[in-house]
Amino acid sequence: MDIYAQNILDRYKNPLHKDKKLDATASRKEANHSCGDSIEINLKIEGDKAIGYSFAGAGCAISMASADMLGDLIHDMTTDEILALKKEDIYEMLGIEISLRRSKCALLSLITIQNALIEKQEKLKSWTDYI
Amino acid sequence: MDFKRDFPIFKQRPELVYLDSAATSQKPQIVLEAENTYYEKLNSNIHRSAHFLAEEATLAYEATRQTVADFIGAQKHEIIFTRNATEGINLVARSFGETFLKKGDEVLLSKMEHHSNIVPWLQLKEKIGIVIQYLDIDENGQFIFDGSQVTDKTKFVSLTGMSNILGSIPNLKPIIAAAHTKGAKILIDACQLAVHQSIDVQQLDADFLVFSAHKLYGPTGVGVLYGKEGLLKKIPPFLGGGEMIQEVFEQSFTPADIPHKFEAGTPNIAGVVAFKAAIDYIRQISFDEIQKIENELTTYALEKLSRLPDLTFIGPKKAENRGPVISFTMQGVHPHDIAEGLSQKDICIRAGHHCGQVLMDAWGLPATARISLAFYNTKNDIDQTVKTLEEVHKYFT
Repeated sequence: MDIYAQNILDRYKNPLHKDKKLDATASRKEANHSCGDSIEINLKIEGDKAIGYSFAGAGCAISMASADMLGDLIHDMTTDEILALKKEDIYEMLGIEISLRRSKCALLSLITIQNALIEKQEKLKSWTDYI
Repeated sequence: MDFKRDFPIFKQRPELVYLDSAATSQKPQIVLEAENTYYEKLNSNIHRSAHFLAEEATLAYEATRQTVADFIGAQKHEIIFTRNATEGINLVARSFGETFLKKGDEVLLSKMEHHSNIVPWLQLKEKIGIVIQYLDIDENGQFIFDGSQVTDKTKFVSLTGMSNILGSIPNLKPIIAAAHTKGAKILIDACQLAVHQSIDVQQLDADFLVFSAHKLYGPTGVGVLYGKEGLLKKIPPFLGGGEMIQEVFEQSFTPADIPHKFEAGTPNIAGVVAFKAAIDYIRQISFDEIQKIENELTTYALEKLSRLPDLTFIGPKKAENRGPVISFTMQGVHPHDIAEGLSQKDICIRAGHHCGQVLMDAWGLPATARISLAFYNTKNDIDQTVKTLEEVHKYFT
């Protein structure tokens, strides 16, 4: 049996950024209620850069691996660069084909981190921005 | 008997193991032919044009109404065709609710209702300020009911006849009796129940009852709302338009009589006509036979699944007081990953909250995996599923 690519399974089973202690300056929870995935992303922002990343939550392998790999992707990025990330960037990061039925699993961490950054602004991202 | 031969999808997809019939059933050839025949031979609009074709189409449409009425022990004019069961519940919540309920009145639901039997009542709460109460659910998926939950304030009770999450068939009789003693009306959501056992609305003494054609081997886009004649006559139309009126003036209208006053606009005529073929088909097989097959499959599936490591049943663990719907979790494997693993082997199950978030929250479950069987399934389907579940478990742990 080979359900997912090895990189996804590895990051799901042995995450690098899950439940890390962090002096967070931005934090946000999002959930895909219909699939039962939920994550909380904590960010430490200094100046305009994200210098710390941690997530917590429970979900399927794709949602959890995506949240973990996102920690690598955004390392040293500015908040503007994080806000400019698109779903294609996440699909490229995952390196596997994402079907429509799994797109919310793959993108849950993206919508969470972007909403963490713009929580205090007026317009939070909604799923209609992506799907 | 191999019932899969009656269902063309299994010829088109010989590898398919379809264990998601509680979401929607597959359709037998005879239903597809009925829909096709309608368009080829009868297609015209019903209840209006003064030509022979419209009359034949009307007769075909109304023949289904009679078949549905016979199917549940109702009178023909007590059967209303809707788009789906959800629309039927919305119709009752709006037309009955806004007419007879007022601020502070209580509506009693249960925690294992489908969202379609919760949200319309929450909308009514937002609109007129009713109070929503919930029956708790025990581990076998039965309502926890001792009579005290129906009070003088209870004006309406709306409950499932069979849980789409747990598969349990709750005992409705004491609640219906208690509701009627207090003068409350009751709606039964029979979407799942109607697929697995015969229903007699007289014996049940339900005031309203809904189900959908697409779970009952019929087409999508057709729902049934049953209501007692006296109640249907007392409540106003839900949607306005053609078909549902007698007369229209510049400033007023007179609605048609039941059932047509609840059927605004051109309905899904082909779907309704084809639904008759579905009911005729299952009546020909008989619920005795269907239950015999489904009970045997459920018992077999429960036994095989119970041997899997780290598997926990959510809901009843035995085949009694239930239909062929089985929810479970597997320690260490998210339900979505279970469904993905099975999907890669052509096995369709459902994973998630099954539109039952209230129960999932009450029981602290983010999601479950759900197998739902129909009489066209086989022990081989279950064997393949159990074998693949073993592989999925091994893959993740």
